[in-house]
Amino acid sequence: MGRQVCIASAGFSEHASKRSDVSMPELVSEAIEDCLKRVPSVDIKDIDAYVNGNMPAFEGSNIPELWMTDWMGARNKPLMRVTTGGTTGGSVAISGYYSVAAGLPGVDTVLAIAFEQQSQGDTSVGLASVAYGEISVMNSLGIPYDQLTLLFSAGAAIGISSYQATNYMRKSKITEEDLARVVVQNRHNAAKTWWAHLKMPNLTIEEVLDTPYISYPLRYGMVCPASDGACAMLFTTEEKAKDMCDIPVYVNGVGSIATETALIGFSGSGSGQLDLSEQLGAQKTSELAFKQAGISFPRKEIDYAEVYSPFPNQELMWVEQLGLFEENTAPNMYETGVTALNGELPVNCSGGVNSTNAIGASAMERPAVAALQIMGEASNQVPKTVHTALGHGWGGYVNLVTMMVMADEPTRKLR
Amino acid sequence: MQKVGIVGYNQVKLYSDANYGRYEMIFEAVRGALDSAGLKKKDISTVISATNDYYDGRTISNALTVEPGGGYLADESKVEMDGAYAVLYGLMRILSGNHKLAVVWGGSMASSFPYHSARLYETDPTWERPVAYVNDISAAGFQMRAYMEKFGVNPEDIAKIAVKNRKNAAKNPLALAEAQNLNLTVKEVLESEIYADPIKELMVAQPCDGVAALLLAPEKQALKIIDNPVWITGVGYNQETYYLGDRDLFKSKSMELAGKMAFNAAGIKDPKNEIDVAELFEGYAHEELIFTEALGFVEKGQGASLNSEINGDLPINPSGGALGGNPPCATGLIRIIEAVKQLKGEANDYQVSGAKKAVASGQIGMCAQNNIVYVLEGGN
Repeated sequence: MGRQVCIASAGFSEHASKRSDVSMPELVSEAIEDCLKRVPSVDIKDIDAYVNGNMPAFEGSNIPELWMTDWMGARNKPLMRVTTGGTTGGSVAISGYYSVAAGLPGVDTVLAIAFEQQSQGDTSVGLASVAYGEISVMNSLGIPYDQLTLLFSAGAAIGISSYQATNYMRKSKITEEDLARVVVQNRHNAAKTWWAHLKMPNLTIEEVLDTPYISYPLRYGMVCPASDGACAMLFTTEEKAKDMCDIPVYVNGVGSIATETALIGFSGSGSGQLDLSEQLGAQKTSELAFKQAGISFPRKEIDYAEVYSPFPNQELMWVEQLGLFEENTAPNMYETGVTALNGELPVNCSGGVNSTNAIGASAMERPAVAALQIMGEASNQVPKTVHTALGHGWGGYVNLVTMMVMADEPTRKLR
Repeated sequence: MQKVGIVGYNQVKLYSDANYGRYEMIFEAVRGALDSAGLKKKDISTVISATNDYYDGRTISNALTVEPGGGYLADESKVEMDGAYAVLYGLMRILSGNHKLAVVWGGSMASSFPYHSARLYETDPTWERPVAYVNDISAAGFQMRAYMEKFGVNPEDIAKIAVKNRKNAAKNPLALAEAQNLNLTVKEVLESEIYADPIKELMVAQPCDGVAALLLAPEKQALKIIDNPVWITGVGYNQETYYLGDRDLFKSKSMELAGKMAFNAAGIKDPKNEIDVAELFEGYAHEELIFTEALGFVEKGQGASLNSEINGDLPINPSGGALGGNPPCATGLIRIIEAVKQLKGEANDYQVSGAKKAVASGQIGMCAQNNIVYVLEGGN
């Protein structure tokens, strides 16, 4: 059952904090245009089916695909909408892969689209319920709505991530300087990526450490921006991909293993027994995806990694949790240049989520960049040849993970 | 396409105000489905849910429903559409060969949010939403009017569908109590409160609380799990354009194309004679007629002439359909489950005798902009 699936192309819109020059559908069609530009033999009419998603709360539009139909060329075509919060982009990419792998009659070429235009709405409002955990439970414990804000030093993603960061700092014995170093590497990389948001080619560690704290140990200069942007990926069968592009990228492993919501706890501080910097979901997801792809030694076999890290501590955490480095050794890898553009295992050469975060699209941009690195067509292309790469996504209430492992040759066994 | 087995199902009783928690309903549905197949949590390899953040009233609602839905440490994802599309994604995961048992569930609690107001957020935010005169009910009003004008259909013909479905629902113990009515008359339907001319209250599928779950397995595994799985032999889905002015509302283009894709996959040449029973997600009574025509069961405009009673020529919605209770994100999934019951002979009071092949459908959007159709077959 099943069949090999290839990524034939990937494209991006330009990202910025306010893309007020375009509407949401126009932003999406920008990414589609960039994606199809790389595969001249493919017309929008050749797309057999669509998958898409975003985080609907941020723009105040539920199921926007309904009224965006014609801007995607999806009129009278099969369309499925997948949304999973922060991992939406990754989940959409994975569902694009499954749409092709399933082999439904007439569904060979699938366009996966993820997008977010945060300037259309208020992200903080959208994230309020994430910051407060399960509001209905809080209410039943006798905490009224108007007092919820008193409970937390900081809300939303950063409120949780600061706990993650301090846990990780305690274990790996790193300083804020190590966090800043990750930020500097990302922003320098972003400067060389045409579609990235925060381009800072001359940023220094001192400048990052000179910005105020938002929530210890995360400073203003370390935090991802809120971006407007879209990403599109073209999935198709092995045979068709060979006609479409020079180097088809085989999707060899996918996974999205969820863990418990209670990880956050009702106070946003963890349940007491669990360490937020230790991500069982990421470990299990990478195990599953590597197994499907036949990868036994990720440290040796992966040539390039794109991980989802709005905050610098997460980038250090993820490369360890996904099995790319030994525990607590990641900071050293950043110091010695192993993860740099010309390093042994380059990480986030697009600048990562830390430099560009159109939330719904972010988790798709990771596998999209990884695929382009294999094709040799990435905006900030690594000098070495990339054979095997991974793209990772993270989200939910700290409990959802997505991952896609890809290579320039098929290694997935069909069962 | 290769067939996929349905090895278990469960649906909770529909309530207009369930008065018990979302998580309990999800757990009850999924646990019951696993029990019906004699399986355990550890047998689950993938979970696909169908919920909607707007209907649940919170961002990333699916992150909080991981555990009751059996998604802990499972390869998990969510479809933000009707539950029938979650079945599609589960089906894809099974067909890919990556997974051996997929749990699919969908549902919500309409008692905790104003359904029709929430659906206003599905309209075009620039041109339509500020004036708010186009919403799901008024759009359905245009649809019903267009259908009646085009084919010269009377309101009575449409009210008859509401009567049939609400009478059928009375025989379905899981249907919404408010929708069950054995003694309903056409006159009562036509005299019920006006929603959006010409739509009357009793022609509308009432949103309610409910969750349903389904288990999917590849052919080989399905036969090991139970003796008589029902097979999904075809699926088709399609989205037409959004703006009402760009569409011919008296027909359903997306349903036509979805039906074509599903019948093609299942190798069905003559749906009219090959299909024994249909469970269609009709948001409004007149949609059942439009869908019946779009699927090729009758000629265009002739829907009302078809005898679609339980013992009729082609029984449609013997369970009561969506008019028998419409829990958002579960309704289409429940249609599939009801079709499975018919094929397994488990429908008791509303059993269609000798049903071998069935069709089930789901939809989202105004005037059913996006439709999904399944062809299901019983027996081995």
